[in-house]
Amino acid sequence: MTVNVFQAALLGLFACLASMPGLGGTSVGNYTLGRPLVAGLVVGIILGDVTLGIIVGAAIQVVYIALVTPGGTVSADVRAACYIGIPLAMMAISAQGLDPMSADAAALATTLGATCGTLGAILFYGTATINLVWQSIGWKALEKGDTHKLYLVDMVLPWISHIICSFIPTFVIVYFGQGMVDVIMSSLPMDGLPMKTLFAVGSLLPCVGIAILLKQVIAKPTDFLTFFFGFTLAAVMGCNLIACSAIACFFALINFELSTIKSKLAHVGTAGSITSGYDDDDEEDI
Amino acid sequence: MAEYSKKVSKKALSKSFHSWYYGNLTCFSQEHMQTFGYLVSMLPIVEDLYEKKDDQTKALTTYSAFFNTEPQIGAMIVGVTVGLEEARANGEAIDDETINGIRAGLMGPLAGIGDSLIVGTLIPILLGIALGLAEGGSVLGPIFYIVVWNLLAYFGMRFAYFRGYDLGGAAVEALVGPNATALRDAIVSVGTMVIGAVAATWVSISTALTLPGGGTLQGTLDGIYPKLLPLIFTIFCWWLMAKKKVSPIITMLILLVIAFIGAAVGFFGAATIAAPTA
Repeated sequence: MTVNVFQAALLGLFACLASMPGLGGTSVGNYTLGRPLVAGLVVGIILGDVTLGIIVGAAIQVVYIALVTPGGTVSADVRAACYIGIPLAMMAISAQGLDPMSADAAALATTLGATCGTLGAILFYGTATINLVWQSIGWKALEKGDTHKLYLVDMVLPWISHIICSFIPTFVIVYFGQGMVDVIMSSLPMDGLPMKTLFAVGSLLPCVGIAILLKQVIAKPTDFLTFFFGFTLAAVMGCNLIACSAIACFFALINFELSTIKSKLAHVGTAGSITSGYDDDDEEDI
Repeated sequence: MAEYSKKVSKKALSKSFHSWYYGNLTCFSQEHMQTFGYLVSMLPIVEDLYEKKDDQTKALTTYSAFFNTEPQIGAMIVGVTVGLEEARANGEAIDDETINGIRAGLMGPLAGIGDSLIVGTLIPILLGIALGLAEGGSVLGPIFYIVVWNLLAYFGMRFAYFRGYDLGGAAVEALVGPNATALRDAIVSVGTMVIGAVAATWVSISTALTLPGGGTLQGTLDGIYPKLLPLIFTIFCWWLMAKKKVSPIITMLILLVIAFIGAAVGFFGAATIAAPTA
């Protein structure tokens, strides 16, 4: 698999759109084009192997299933994981002659994607720092009452930040990195310790993505039971994800009904009368 | 809501909403975050409400205070301030401090709700289903996610924005009242369950160790509980990050060390890593 100048440039363009803070906007850019599964489709179309692209994207997606960036702190950069990691992983899998459907291919993709994503965090901070220059132009414009310049500051000038921090790194690494991938991969025997470690770490990394999400949703120890329940549905009972979602929604409905009844009862307990509406004393905790 | 003589035009509202929808984070910096996105979404509003250039600039300067929230659900805050600005243009006694006080008071709680419900629950559920549909490299998976997520995001943000504009602060109360909390807990429980299923389906860790006296360790583990290793490693990572406050990057490096040692002693073997059972 080789990448020509035009393909590398297209990947660079998508890196500009998909990053956080990206020029595709938050919903379309970061949360759509910046999801590895979607990026797998895009990169697959650009490089001419959609199936391999999606398989690689799906493998990397599990690591980044819950990429929350609270307060603008990032531990991984989506543009690098998606538009540098996926092309490199596709090339590496082709170079090794691995079966794309195999677990080894998925593990290799995961490792490469996560490595690019982690190192790519520097691109995020680079973009945000260069944007400070445009923002200083914006403050001056606002002071002078030149308000229409704000559109330029918010939507046009950041392209320069992205050419420096998204387009060029993606283009250079993918275009000039392809030869290196071939060399590295052909010098590493499949049954050697480095490759074995790589495959093993690739199979372990998705746990981090799942655990980040767990950290968010687990408030009390019993919440683990909810997680185990979903896990058991899929692992032991063989339900696929759509079936699991349906079952989960059903239990959530029961949960919701129960807590609604509970809050009604609690109100009856304090007010002593079942007729008083419980909307009256909505607590405002803002 | 009082009937004002000056109303924001439909066109200005639409332009304001779309500026937020697209531009909320395009000019992000660590120092000002979404401030410039906020300024461009208020620009059509102040231009519509005030005729004099000076008044426009003065009103717009109110929104130069720091702003950051979860941008999707945060559209509601923009809507709320559009309503406040409209009231101010009609002579109501609303000063900069009031507007910025409300803005600052709302951005924290809404960021919490948005991060846990949208980014932490809705997106993982959609991705979980999409991953299932993408099995074997099928385009159905990504296309499902692209279509469903973007419809929900666009119309959800539109709804939030106009709810905020129409109802003001009351719109936000609907998000934090007791009924909303019950609903939120229910949605989060769906997310927790689906994530369990995602872990069981998409994390595949197995061992290559053979037991003395024949049989594999993996076979024994499968007899105890299928997918035991993915479960153990997931909980280990959760424990590291939630209980030991280890950062995700350090957690990944710890896994690298485990992988290296495991591969060296023969616990992990390339050829025997089980294929995903997705």
